[in-house]
Amino acid sequence: MSRRLSWGLGLLLVAGLVIGAFFVLPFRSWLPGGTVADVPNRLVVNGTALNRLFPAPQLGEKLVFTQEKRGFSQARLKQGDEVRALLSISDVTSSPASRAKFSGSGSTLGGWPLVEQGDQSSALLVADRFQVKVIGQGAGLSPDERHELLGAFNLQALAALNPASAPKSLPQAKPQAPSLAGQSPATRSSLAAQPLVAQPSASPGSPTQPSANMLAALKAARAAAHRETAVLTPAA
Amino acid sequence: MSTTVLERLERLPHRNLTVLALRGISTLVPGGWTNITSAEELIHDVLGSNDPELTRQVRERADELSRARHEGYARALSLYDAVNRSQKAAGGLRVLANVAGALPLVKRLTLFTPANETLQAADLSLKVAAEMLAFTQVNGLPGDSFADFGASLAEYTSEARVRMAALVCFDAFLPLGDQALHRLDGLLGRVASHELRQLPAYVGMAGLIPGRGDQAHLSFLRRSVDQWVGWADGFASQLGLTGQRSVRALETTIGPWHGGFEQLAIFLDAFTDTYAHTGVQAVARRLVERAAAEI
Repeated sequence: MSRRLSWGLGLLLVAGLVIGAFFVLPFRSWLPGGTVADVPNRLVVNGTALNRLFPAPQLGEKLVFTQEKRGFSQARLKQGDEVRALLSISDVTSSPASRAKFSGSGSTLGGWPLVEQGDQSSALLVADRFQVKVIGQGAGLSPDERHELLGAFNLQALAALNPASAPKSLPQAKPQAPSLAGQSPATRSSLAAQPLVAQPSASPGSPTQPSANMLAALKAARAAAHRETAVLTPAA
Repeated sequence: MSTTVLERLERLPHRNLTVLALRGISTLVPGGWTNITSAEELIHDVLGSNDPELTRQVRERADELSRARHEGYARALSLYDAVNRSQKAAGGLRVLANVAGALPLVKRLTLFTPANETLQAADLSLKVAAEMLAFTQVNGLPGDSFADFGASLAEYTSEARVRMAALVCFDAFLPLGDQALHRLDGLLGRVASHELRQLPAYVGMAGLIPGRGDQAHLSFLRRSVDQWVGWADGFASQLGLTGQRSVRALETTIGPWHGGFEQLAIFLDAFTDTYAHTGVQAVARRLVERAAAEI
């Protein structure tokens, strides 16, 4: 074999290995493509919109937001250092399978179907679109305590979030909303205070304003990044 | 298909040097640390229920979420892996250099190894930055205000106290001395961009760090370390963490150590992966919490 040919073959082999390594080894998970259930981002409500609908913490309690993604927001209800419950709102558009369990539900809360899952979690389906869930942590919560927490979410505003882009669930949502308005204040005594505490950052407004702006800018940047990846995604 | 987060969790070792090192350092942290390596156990812990059908559903959803790249759980693990690979490579080189330094013929090898403090500082800053980037990948930007975000970050770090203690002890106090946190900014100021590029982790992470070019990345690293140092300083003084105490804590599980602090740091760098180990556990918990909420 001529010297030139063996060099050529050697180089070809090296190039093949390098290219193969680039595509197969550590970079694969970084390539764009695929969302949960392949739902386009714009059809799913962003978690930012859900944050303000969480129940206001009562005296001695603290609400710490832990995750916020597209179609999902989660917070921990803490008493001192102990975590009492995980509270979350998720958009079932990105997890269609979770909607099925509500069809067999017999009980309702505020007019919405209610389901118990295991010993420590209660879930509510609002406007046929948003799953509100309370999972007891640590020592656990009784079903009544969980239902009280579920009722303390701002369910009415949540139902109103269901945009026109999902028209099939709207007719169901509308007739139920008025009955909810009458019922929900009775479910939790502290709820009367809700309009005041729904936006806890409102009172120290002026000093936190610049940092709030910074966060908004960060979020906008992230949203832009999401769009970019969505464009790259062949499936979307 | 790449492995999911929960599969990674189940592959974590039950008992090896990494686990022993973490167990040792956890004696300094109130609340301790349990080495969770079973996905089922984790799901039961989060759900507060042993229902097999629910467990199956949570598991399925968690796998689906970790396969979806936009959700960032897998991305956070790649970050941890990149940092871990770099740590092992640098640690291995330094072990080699330590051995080679004693042999006359290969003494020159020591000239090529990144053994100086500046690089150690750069390595630590990369870990801190990876921690922040992974946090946003896993949790998004929770809350509506900066205060909410800060609370969320504090919650995350308190959940991962042992992880943070290991980071502070193994990567700051042991290699850089007890004044490490105060010296860090000065050390980072001396890092040149070509030195940064010597770190394998940086090459892997560069695309994820905000800003264009090495200088911009370096200033991002300095800023994120600046924020972290404030927190880490309070954390260290609250728990009374020092190099001496961490060595003593490690000796309870690993056995007696007769070398210097720096050698111990190199040894730990080369032979343990505490950072990736606790990282997988932290990400898995957040993932299961989300999956449990979505089923």
